[in-house]
Amino acid sequence: MRNVLLVIKHEVQRTVGKPSFWIASFLFPMIIFALTFGSQLMARGMADGDSEKDFLDQVMGATAPGEAKPQGYVDLAGVVTTMPEGLPEGLLVAYPDEAAAQEAMDAGEIEQYYMLAKDFLKTGEVVLVQQRFSPFEQLDGGNVFEYVVTHNLTGDRDAAALLQNPMPSVVLERLAPAEDDEAGAGRPAGQSLAPMAMLFIFFFVLTMSSGYVLTSVTKEKENRIVEVLLSSLDPRQLMLGKIIGLSAVALLQMAIWLGVSLLVLREGSPLVGMVSTLVALTLPPGFLAWAVLYFVLGYLMFASALGAIGALAPTAREGSQFTFVTMLPLMIPMWFNTAFIEAPNGALVTFLSIFPLTAPVSMVARMVAVDVPLWQSLLSLGLVAATSYALVMLSARFFRADTLLSGAPISLQRLREALRRHSNV
Amino acid sequence: MNATVSVSHLTKSFGRFLAVKDVSFDVYPGEIFGLLGPNGAGKTTSIRMMLDIFKPDAGSVTIFGGEMTEAKKNRIGYLPEERGLYQDLKLEPTLVYLATLKGMDESEARRRIADWLKRLDLYEHRAKKVQELSRGMHQKVQIVSTLVHDPDLIVIDEPFAGLDPVNTRLIKDIFEEQREAGKAIVMSTHQMFQVEALCNRIVLIDKGVAVLYGEVGEIKRQFAGNAVTLEGQGDFEHLPGVLEVRRDNGAWHLALETGVSAQDVLRALARRDDVKIKRFEVAEPSLDDIFISVVSEGRPAEEEARGA
Repeated sequence: MRNVLLVIKHEVQRTVGKPSFWIASFLFPMIIFALTFGSQLMARGMADGDSEKDFLDQVMGATAPGEAKPQGYVDLAGVVTTMPEGLPEGLLVAYPDEAAAQEAMDAGEIEQYYMLAKDFLKTGEVVLVQQRFSPFEQLDGGNVFEYVVTHNLTGDRDAAALLQNPMPSVVLERLAPAEDDEAGAGRPAGQSLAPMAMLFIFFFVLTMSSGYVLTSVTKEKENRIVEVLLSSLDPRQLMLGKIIGLSAVALLQMAIWLGVSLLVLREGSPLVGMVSTLVALTLPPGFLAWAVLYFVLGYLMFASALGAIGALAPTAREGSQFTFVTMLPLMIPMWFNTAFIEAPNGALVTFLSIFPLTAPVSMVARMVAVDVPLWQSLLSLGLVAATSYALVMLSARFFRADTLLSGAPISLQRLREALRRHSNV
Repeated sequence: MNATVSVSHLTKSFGRFLAVKDVSFDVYPGEIFGLLGPNGAGKTTSIRMMLDIFKPDAGSVTIFGGEMTEAKKNRIGYLPEERGLYQDLKLEPTLVYLATLKGMDESEARRRIADWLKRLDLYEHRAKKVQELSRGMHQKVQIVSTLVHDPDLIVIDEPFAGLDPVNTRLIKDIFEEQREAGKAIVMSTHQMFQVEALCNRIVLIDKGVAVLYGEVGEIKRQFAGNAVTLEGQGDFEHLPGVLEVRRDNGAWHLALETGVSAQDVLRALARRDDVKIKRFEVAEPSLDDIFISVVSEGRPAEEEARGA
């Protein structure tokens, strides 16, 4: 146990003592935040400038009229009798029956069509038929046809617009005594920024901290000090010390990132509203505990995998070639980051937040976006814990004297041999 | 006297490759024991099994009278052949870390490290990063890390590599001191003159098998007559029964094959008209000669087998 503590202390001192750690801890998040929040601010500024635009333009989104794909509809209820003013011609095409609409879609003339049932006015039943399933599509979200139907039902353009978006310019006003100056300035935009911020923070801290383990192991091999260490301690003690020590470094880095984020947002006046929203409005109760659990387990999962690669790789350079493949699951939520804002309870995000390799990043991002059902959080955490345990046990097979002292390159044969072994060398 | 280390019938394979086969030897307190052999003979694997870094497939190691434990590891100083230090760390913290891993209290480690660094002229470099030190300094730093915790068993692999003659002398003196203090020292090296100068006993491993084991003087006596020294004019190479010919200070040194006597060589020389002999004597073989003689014996058969 004493040796493990010594390795922990050594790893913490060695990593924290490097200027690169502090540069990564302070400079990198600043750049990321500047890029992320800067673009969000610009986008919001543009959106604010468009507040006076016609509602029809808003429901059509940013698509230029010429680029909008035609949609079809089959109105068996006879609701759609007029089109709102300004609706581009040909954007909505009426078909007498489903067969005709289907034929048009098959021919590529329309992207999708709606079916208003005969008893629509009683049941409200509408069927949307699309060529392909899109998990990012908000099925209950606003669209042109919905606006057209509302317009026909109300017979009034303004009323239709209000029904589509009853609170177009809500301003949150804190009635309880404010704890600080910024508290009252919260805005709904933070709802979308928070998941994005969580994705970025968890992705980068998990990637960097797991990478520390790989670097630490391969550097000891490259420096050829590993044999001296193995004459004093067991390979498993070395692995345990590294993983625990560098998890402390990772938590420190996470604390710095969150702290810097809050500090930067407090100091930068245009961002003050976001931080209060992010902290006060979007974080669910107990979020911090969930976040720490997911972070620690996620770190264990990826750090042990990279540690195993470090044990097999003869040099840091060769080891880093396998980093991308190992860290790929963490990147997947980043690629689909818009889904976390647009459809946080959609099929894709739900899957990503439960699948153990993507859950550490995805679930925390989802938690700040929506209320996640408790059973999903528990199931996900259980799967992450089980996977972490399995990966730590698997990685321990690679942390052996003959693997650590070998200069042979990584190969499938070596992987197979390492996986077959159970006992010490 | 009880052996500090007793290695008994050690065998180890890596896949289909048999690295060490049935190797046995003992090392006693107060001796420097030479672990010799050509490259790839199985010396390092034997050391690693001795230190419990590798587990043997068969055989056993008794160390300080029993099996290896965590506490016993703290009584061992190891300078491996494949060695290095944290290049990006400063000298003193590196040594403190390695010393504390050997069970030392940090303050005591700092005190002893300071003493050793002063003795080896490294004290003023203690705050430098390891990568700023010369190769010779690296070597001395690693010797400090091997000895700082005052081990009872010292295992050193090529301890003089990278050292100039002055530092070689200094390190030799240190090892002599350690021996006089009753420490058991296992030294692996290819520098046979260092083995002759320092070692009491040796084991020679070739292709994983111990082919020679015993006191240096006794082994030399066994091999006496297997070398001749001569002075004269002419070509003394390509003589029948001669393994190796070496010129040394104007004299020729001929290492003979096993079973070939000095008389056989003399007879062969007497039959030749193209050589003149001024001096001919049976030489006491050097360890170098013995090493070459023993190791070369197995080579023709091996090469023949490979050719087949």
